[in-house]
Formats: sequence, structure tokens, C-alpha cells
Amino acid sequence: MAAPCRHVGHHIQKNGRFLRININQLFACRSFGLTSALQQQATDLHKESKEAIVIPRKKSWNKEAVLEALASTVQRDPTAYPYQFQDDSYLSPRTSIEFKLFSLSQESGRAAAKYFVNSNPKLFTKDFAEPHIPCLMPESVALRLEEVSQEALEERISLRKVSAAVEMYDQLLQSGTAVSMETTHKLLDLICLYCDRDPVQEGTPQTEDREEEEEEDRRRKPMGRQAMDFLKCTWKENNNAERIFNLLPERDARCYSALIRGMVKHGAYAKAFNLYEDLLNNRLSADVHIFNALISAVPDVRKKNNERWDLIAELLNQMNEQKVRPNLLTFNSVLKALRQCSFLAKTFSPQILNEMKALGIAPSLATYEHILTVFFYKSASSGPSNMAILQDVLMELEGTSFTCQDPNDVLFFATAMKLCLDNKDLELGYKVHSLVEVGENWRLLGDSYQQALYYGRFFNLLCLMEHIDVVLKWYSRIVPSLLYPNPQGMKNLLQALDTDSRLDLLPTIWKDIKSLGHDNKVDLVEELLSLMARDEHSAEVQESFAACALDVKSVFGERPKKEWSTSSLSHISILLLRANKLQKAWDMLQLFKDKNRVPSGALLSSFLTACRCSASPQRAVELVQLSAAFSLPTTPELAKRTLAEFELNDKQRSIVSEFEAAPEKEE
Amino acid sequence: MASFGSKVFLSLGRTNVSGVGFKKTGNRATYATALTVNSSSTNKARGGKGSTGRRPKRGPGEPRTEKMALDQDWTSVYPAATPFRANAVPLPLRMGYPVKRGIPPEKKGNLELIKIPNFLHLTPAAIRKHCEALKPFCTEWPSALDTDAKCDELFPVKIQSTDYVSAGPSIRNPSARVVHMKVKLSSLNLDDHARKKMLKLVGDRYCKDSDILTIKTESCPLRQQNYDYAMYLLTVLYHESWKIEPWEAEKTRADMEEYSWEDSTSQKNILDTLLRINATGEGEEAEVREQLLGREEVLEYKDSVETLKNEEPSESNMLRYKEAVRKVLKV
Repeated sequence: MAAPCRHVGHHIQKNGRFLRININQLFACRSFGLTSALQQQATDLHKESKEAIVIPRKKSWNKEAVLEALASTVQRDPTAYPYQFQDDSYLSPRTSIEFKLFSLSQESGRAAAKYFVNSNPKLFTKDFAEPHIPCLMPESVALRLEEVSQEALEERISLRKVSAAVEMYDQLLQSGTAVSMETTHKLLDLICLYCDRDPVQEGTPQTEDREEEEEEDRRRKPMGRQAMDFLKCTWKENNNAERIFNLLPERDARCYSALIRGMVKHGAYAKAFNLYEDLLNNRLSADVHIFNALISAVPDVRKKNNERWDLIAELLNQMNEQKVRPNLLTFNSVLKALRQCSFLAKTFSPQILNEMKALGIAPSLATYEHILTVFFYKSASSGPSNMAILQDVLMELEGTSFTCQDPNDVLFFATAMKLCLDNKDLELGYKVHSLVEVGENWRLLGDSYQQALYYGRFFNLLCLMEHIDVVLKWYSRIVPSLLYPNPQGMKNLLQALDTDSRLDLLPTIWKDIKSLGHDNKVDLVEELLSLMARDEHSAEVQESFAACALDVKSVFGERPKKEWSTSSLSHISILLLRANKLQKAWDMLQLFKDKNRVPSGALLSSFLTACRCSASPQRAVELVQLSAAFSLPTTPELAKRTLAEFELNDKQRSIVSEFEAAPEKEE
Repeated sequence: MASFGSKVFLSLGRTNVSGVGFKKTGNRATYATALTVNSSSTNKARGGKGSTGRRPKRGPGEPRTEKMALDQDWTSVYPAATPFRANAVPLPLRMGYPVKRGIPPEKKGNLELIKIPNFLHLTPAAIRKHCEALKPFCTEWPSALDTDAKCDELFPVKIQSTDYVSAGPSIRNPSARVVHMKVKLSSLNLDDHARKKMLKLVGDRYCKDSDILTIKTESCPLRQQNYDYAMYLLTVLYHESWKIEPWEAEKTRADMEEYSWEDSTSQKNILDTLLRINATGEGEEAEVREQLLGREEVLEYKDSVETLKNEEPSESNMLRYKEAVRKVLKV
């Protein structure tokens, strides 16, 4: 009789769970308690001669506790790519460009799917999931209520349809219906948040107006990042928010709050301050959000440092007078504003910290980030003594788990690691990294850009300071699962290899360079080649170097636009010669001719030596001819050597002796 | 149901695009090697087209098994039940039918390895870790219950139910509602009549060898309901078997569970035979029968007949019967 749904897939049967009769029912409490409270069973109590049978009470836990316990047995897999990608050698992103492309395409696919589900809700009514997954079901995005009423206005507000909401409000006012204060607050909040524009719907085609506005923005700010402009809109004069605000019969602090915060968010700073004056004149008291917004706007309304500080101090005093309690964001915005005040910042930031402590507000990572920047980068003198500050900060934060309380929290780790890198302090770098590994702190590393900054700086620090074995261990741990090193990072790695003379690892590094997509960076490849060709090594190392050199050559061959340079050609030739690959080396000489590059005399003499080892006199003659074709100054010496060391027949002898003379003859 | 079925094959649909494309051809030899041939030929073709400026086709990266350390933590690589991924399992596996005197195909793009369930996530190390992690959820076994006998004595009713875990859109499984209740009849307080009645009522559910009554309830949709129903059934059976209905007096010899020699045809026959043998005519018939019944041989005969009828016929039983007959008939 039961529904005939069979589940195909992986079955794990757990057999035989024994329950006992008369057991206690599960308590409804949600916490996972480790209480070992025991309880006597009234009915089944048999007093044994030795001891009574006590049945312990069954422990209760919440729904995810077992899964969390099992998950705690698992650590990060160092070779695995991030979880959202397909784990396949074809489909995993190998370069940072691919990473970005794949994650963006996943997001866009998800958005497209969401769009389809939402626009065709009738096709997605069947709900298979048990327990119910609300985010997979269609959301209502279409308006249902059409008549002019407050409910319709509320609906539009909740669906974030800004222009429709404003229209509905105007209609309500015209028809004379009163709109409640609550709804008006929400409407003002909506308009100010989205700057009087409809938020961009995912996946919908852009309209004409949008493109015109883009054009405008582009003309106004030719240099700026246009993506940011696209998202950020400027507060227009007398837009709907202001109009509605002015029409309100009575305005309370919340309306002012919405407007002031909207103005600050969208760039109308002076207006925000004027509105604040207005608020004070109406003898209303502002709330903490208004103060936070105003403090963050201070650097844009005053230009000189002491004026800025005076304004901040004034705002803080007014906050005190109006008995508004500051919160974490207040202090963070003060510090952020102070960052722009260079020398003042150093004096006042300790005072800010003391205030925070006095009020019992725990500083967040953003606070520390502002302080570190102030003390290290904004002040004139920053020396190793200042590292003590970072040390103190890290000692205090050791072992703490953080949650994100301020949007600037994510900048802390990158800044801290930059400091460690600039001051070449490896121990502090390790301390910062151990802080990242505590609990869920990895979430505070931020988006992929911040993460790349952090790990890139960490890796550079390691390459500079650490022994090569440790460097390689970290390399295998974080590349490429957490970091796609940029060419500078790879150069640092090559330097580290060179310092500890582990040049035999160069071919594997070349493979990694290729898979990271840096094989088109000419300077990196040239540095690699020069390191390989600099010294003589043992036989099998030379073999591997030669194979690597051939690989480099084929990579260059695939890109016809890339220019060969003389040094890279000669390095490759030397490597091939050292590994006794004469034919291939000969091809290199042809390549010299094709690309119009001139080989050095030293190269040709080493060629000659190799020819002697393989006893090919014809080759030697060709070599001399080639040398003459390039008009090298060493031609006569080469000719002499050829005559001396090789057994030539007469024809060859005659050819060679021609070149024995001084090169003036060739002109 | 078809539409439902298609959603569940997420494990097959997501992995190894390289191998999946060939599963429909039915040509088993091709899926491992054909792919590499394809890619190299396209690369060569690209070499000629290089002048048009097209980037060469993105080849496969090296599988991440190359980078895995020898002492890595395997439980982190396969933490949960996932399909087989050739680039994540560093074992040189081969699976499949060797066609034309070849060898089984390698693991790269091998659909046979993906189809079967694997237990790579349940290595002994993983199980040890899981057990350690789950220990805080458990309570201690009561120390007084150290033998099975004591458990049976104090907790005679045993309930067994099964939980199912599978990968799919829903966590519910209708087979999880089944409840088996087992109880030993010797632990219930039943007299002879009650026991016989109980056995008649339950029929097949009783196992004679182990004296266990098993009640399996699956008619209700929820496990709790099935458990309550099983308990109710036990209670009702117990009370009903103690009641004596008036119509039970009509129990005939054919309804009896065991053979009893009193008033049976065998008794009648042997008594008639004996009477005829000793046709002395002294005393009442009834008295003579009584006397005959009291005799030792007759009693032995009675025992042997009852043994034969009630138990399995065996050599010893037959021999005993033979002896008893000979004794009774003085042959």
C-alpha cells in the first residue's frame, strides 16, 4: 500500500537496532547533551544480589549533530580542487583564468535555471524532496495584486519592484487613502537602498534605458572601473525618495535615517549632512545607523585632516548627547575615516580602542585591519619595531574563531600577510596562517581575489625565507588547490630552487608552469632556461633538462606570433648539446637562421667540440660556413680549429681555408 | 515514475564526461583507448591549422593521483559515498571483459568501475575514525546485564526494525516501517490450554525449534504505529488464549494437536484383541478393561504408540513398538 517509490543509488543498510520495551520517550530538547544522567526503570527492576539494573537515559541531539560529528573526522584534501568544480582531469580549472571562468559560468547557469523556474512556476509544482528544500521551489516574482491598496504596495515592496512601488504609492495618495507609517518607512528604505532604480533581475535582458545610463557613466568617468560604475548609481537631485519625503506630513527619525543612509551610500554626502542638520532642527534624535553613515561620509565632505577629525569628534559628542549607544560599526567607520587622515590616525586610534574596551565592544577583524594599515602604511616611520604591534594583535587573537561582522573583515588576513612579507617575518606569517586554520576562519579570507592575494603573499614569504624542502611541501599543499601562482610567484620559486641548488626539480616546475598557463610569459621561460643552462649537471639531470628544452621549443613553435630571443635559443642549443642530441641541436641552428638571430661565438665553438666528439667533418665544414654567413668575429678561429682537429678531404679543406683569413675579405 | 527515476541518476550523469559518451555504442573495447587516439589526431590536425591563430584544443591535465603524497589521509579524499573517479584513486585498476585476447580496459573512462557501488569511503581507518566520533552519542551498557540469559530473562520481548540510507532527493524509505517483534512463549504465563490456543491462533508465526513467536507488522505507514500494533496483537493474543469460549467444548479428535491414546481406536483395538484372546468371560466388561489397562504391557504399548504418532518415526521408535506389541500379544 505504501507509495511505490524505490530509490536507486547507494544503499547502506543498517540492520538490527534493538529497542527495549518500556524505554523512555525521546525528550524534545534540541541541544546535544552529553549528560550521563541515569534513570531507574520502575517496572523491570530486578534487584540482583550484586547490583540493580539501571537503564541510562537515551541522549538526544539535534538533526545535524551526527553528520557534524562524522564531518569532523575529515580534513582538507590537499590535491583536490575547490568543491564546486567537477573533479575530473579534463574539467577542473588549471589556471586562474579558467577558475574565474568556470565559477562565473556556474553562477550564470544557476541564475538562468532560477530564472526559468521562477518564470514558469506551473511546471515545477511537484515536490520530491523530503525534507522540503525551499530554495529549489519556484518563488513568486510576478505581482498578484493589481488594485490600488496598501497590500498591493506592500507586495511590491517585498518583491523589490521599486518603480512599481513608487507608482502605487502615488496612486494611493491621489485616491486619498492614507498609507501607514510602517509601510512608508519600508517604501523609503526600499527606494534609498536601490537609489530609485529597479535592481537588476538575474538573467533578464537589459533595457534601453540601462544602456543610456551606462553611456552617461562612461563619459563621466572614463578611467574608472566600469563594472563598479554599473553597480553604483549616483543620487540624483530631487528623486522619488526626496519627493516622497517632502510630501510626508510628519517625518520621524526612521524616515530621516533611510534618506541619510541612502544619500551616503550613493554619493550625495553634503546633502546627507544637510538633512542631518534638518533632523536636529526638528529636535529629533538620530539612531546609530545615521551616525555610522555620517562618520563614513566625513572624509568626502572635509578636505583637511584636522577639519575631518573635528567633525568626527563633533559627531561623536552629539551621539553621546543624544544618548545613542555606539556599536562596532561606529568605531570601524571612525577608524576607516581616520585612515585618510594620515598623521592624526596614529594619535587617535589607540584612544578609539580604549573607548571600545570601555564600552565592552569586542573589536572585529576590520578594526585590526584599520589599525595595522594606519600604523604601517600611513605613518612616516615604519620599522621593525612596529612588528611588535602585529605580534600583540596575533597573540591576542590566537585560537579565536571569528564570524563576519563588518564587510571589511575580509581584508585583515591579506593585509597582515603583506606586512609579514614586507618585513620578511616568517614566524609571524606562520602565526597568521595558523589563525586562518582555526575553525571556520577560512571563510573570512574573502572572495577569490582576496584569497589569491593572501596565499600569493604567503607563498612569496616562504620562498624568500624558508628552506627548499619546506617550500616544496607547502607548494604541494596549496598549489593549485588554493592558489594559482602568478609569474612573479613562479619566479620566486625558481629563485628559491636556485638558492638551495635543487635545480634538478626544474623540469617538474616547467610542467606546472605549462599547466598554469604561464608558458606564454617570455621572461619567465627565459629565466627558467637560463637557470637550466647555467651549469653542468649530472647525466640524467642533463637528459631531463634536454627533454624540457625540447618541450619549451615545441611550445614556442606552436605560437607563431611569439618572438624568440637569442638567449633562449642559445640556452636550448646548449642544453641539447650537453645531452648529446646533436641532430636536434643542428635543427636549432636552422632556427637561428629562420628567425634572424645571431648565435654567439661561444655557442658555435661548443658545437664544434660536439662535432669532434661525434666525428662528423661535414658538419664541421657546414658550421664554419654558417659562422661566416653570420659574419661572426670568431670565424677564423673556427676555421683554424676545423683544419687542425678534423680529417678533411680536399674540397672541404679548400672551403675552410677560405674562411681562415680575416673577415674583411667577406665584405 | 519515469520522470522521478531520471532525477536519481545524479551519480552517473555528473562524472567522467569522457567515458559516458561511449556507453551507448555497446562496443566495449573502444571506450578506454579510442579517446586518446582521437585527441592526438586532432592535435596533429591543429598543427596544420596553426596559422589561422586558433588555440590548440585543451588537452587533459595530469590526473591528481600524480600529486598525491604516499602518506596522505585517504579518508579526506573520499569522505562520503561518491562514484569512482579515475583521477582521484591512485590504484592501477582494470575492469571489464578482455576482448579478442586483450586485457581488461584501464580505469580511465571505465564505465564498469563507475556503475558498481564502491566502498572507498569506508576503509578500516575511516570506520575507526567514525566510531570514535560517534562514541559521545552512545550511553554505556548497563553493567548488570552481562549475559544473554539475563537479557532474555529481564527483557523477553525483542523489537527489530531497519533503517535505510540512500542517495536521492528524499530521505524517506517505505521499507523502514516494518517492525519484527520476537518473544519466547516460555516467558509468557500460559497453561496447557492457553498455549495450545495461542499456537492455533498464530499459526505459522511460531518456530517450534526455538520457541520464538515472531510477529511482523507492516500494515501501517509509520514505524511507531506498527510497533504499537505489534504490542496490541501480543496483548490480545495472550488474553484471548486464556479465555475459554463455550464452543471450544466442541473440539473433536481431529482438532487435537497431539495424539492421545485414551479413547482412541488403538486403545479400542488392543483391548478388543486382548479380550478376545482372554475370552474367559469373568466379571464385567468394564472391569476387565480397567484391569487390562492397568497392566504393564498395555501401558508400554500405549507409550510406544503415542511416541510413534507424536514424534518423527525412527528406527528406535519402530523397534520399541515392535517389542511392545510382542509383549502384549505374548508372541
